[in-house]
Amino acid sequence: MNARALTSDILLGVIPIALAIAVWQGISSFGYAPVTLLPPPGMVFSRLVQQLFTSSFQHEIASTLFRLFAGFSIAVILGVGIGLAAAASPAVNAVVRPIVRVLAPLPKVALYPALLLLLGFGHESKITLVAADALFPILLSTYYGASMVEQKLIWSAMAAGTPRRQILFKVVLPAAVPSILTGCRIGLVISCIVVFLAEMISSTDGLGHMLVKAARTFQAVDMFVPLITISLLGLILNGLLQGLRSYLLRGFPEV
Amino acid sequence: MKVLPSDPAPARGPASAMIEIDHVSQTFRTSGRQAHLALSDISLTIEDGAFVSILGPSGCGKSTLLYIVGGFVSPTEGEARVKGRAITGPGPDRGPVFQEFALFPWKTVLGNVMYGPRQQGVKSAEAEAQSRRLIEMVGLKGFENFYPKELSGGMKQRVALARTLAYHPAVLLMDEPFGALDAHTRTRLQNDLLNIWERDRKTVLFVTHSVDEAVFLSDKVVVMTRAPGRIKQIVDIELPRPRRRAELLLDPRYQKYVVEIERMIDDTSEDGLQP
Repeated sequence: MNARALTSDILLGVIPIALAIAVWQGISSFGYAPVTLLPPPGMVFSRLVQQLFTSSFQHEIASTLFRLFAGFSIAVILGVGIGLAAAASPAVNAVVRPIVRVLAPLPKVALYPALLLLLGFGHESKITLVAADALFPILLSTYYGASMVEQKLIWSAMAAGTPRRQILFKVVLPAAVPSILTGCRIGLVISCIVVFLAEMISSTDGLGHMLVKAARTFQAVDMFVPLITISLLGLILNGLLQGLRSYLLRGFPEV
Repeated sequence: MKVLPSDPAPARGPASAMIEIDHVSQTFRTSGRQAHLALSDISLTIEDGAFVSILGPSGCGKSTLLYIVGGFVSPTEGEARVKGRAITGPGPDRGPVFQEFALFPWKTVLGNVMYGPRQQGVKSAEAEAQSRRLIEMVGLKGFENFYPKELSGGMKQRVALARTLAYHPAVLLMDEPFGALDAHTRTRLQNDLLNIWERDRKTVLFVTHSVDEAVFLSDKVVVMTRAPGRIKQIVDIELPRPRRRAELLLDPRYQKYVVEIERMIDDTSEDGLQP
């Protein structure tokens, strides 16, 4: 993509967000909601900037990011691993398929009370919840990507002397990368949501905890700061993943 | 206009069998319980260094026959052998080139061509040098670092050919390799393929549904019937080599082969479901 198209893309992306902020500003300027309950965006953003330089806020962000990354990484490793194994081996598939069918639609947050009892209130329970929720989209897209690899790619590699057991890593995995990355993208958004949710339900730190604490004491401005922060984090992480995607898929035809 | 030598290509020394297809039949189970007989009792011997085309209407199982020789599909009955050994799976002695190119999209042109030699344990620097020479030979010098998606269909097929030649197969298995290309590109690739083939005269098994292409390229054309695929007739193409397309098109012998084979094909499709 050339620089000009990129700029216009960014502009197009910024406009709807600017509109949403304008509506928000409008609601509070015209008095539809009292400022104490719905603070205007300016107030929230200046509070955010101010908070960014405090070590306590940095600590909250760090905790949330740590849980998010740990959970997401576990989901990627397990999802890609199990998805590939299921695509490669009918036996593994026979075991995995029914389990996935039962567990995928389950609201993973319903497991959270049990996780808290088992793993405690620290990082572990939240990381587990994030991993459990982000796992399925990654697993499913890996499985489908790996099952749909063009047969003739595999034949070409085998004819060139690739042993059968290496085909999985030499052909199937690289050929499945586009759909694996699509799954990762969904998994990343889910991770952002779930880490926040888990911290809201029970935590002693993190952005979700900040929000709940502020809500309980009617600190409306402080309530919006973590919300804006998690969306900004999501935006940045998605951008990074997009960059990785266009690097890894530089040879693949545009989807 | 040049005068063509009047006698056919001199016979090469005592030819040995490179590929033997011995009473091969292939049945596929379709989604219903019905069994579909794709190939019925095919026996065929292909000599070392021969360029043999398999020609037939679509659905006659000609690609399946090629996949059996490739070791990608095992026959329901019978046996295929290469250099006297039964074929049990794919191997670098038989290199396929597919209509769909089947290049690795995550590798560059050079990466694709180097894949085979690297699998064969050739050292990286040497594999690269060999691959660069092959890329030059197929006319793609300067495109080494391009990705397949950046190339035209004809160029992709050149890369696919180079990728296969790179691991020195004794037999080239070409599955309608020029079927997806426009007429002009197809002609150029046919000429280039013949030029490359003239250098080392590998055994080639070439599947096509184009009569012109089969006659132009081959020593032998195997005409197959509509499903279930059987061998209808084997036509020896006794045209001199090296063949020049422009000269051949004017040659009455060439024209006679084309007409004769086209008649055979018409016969086979009469009872079929030609739209």
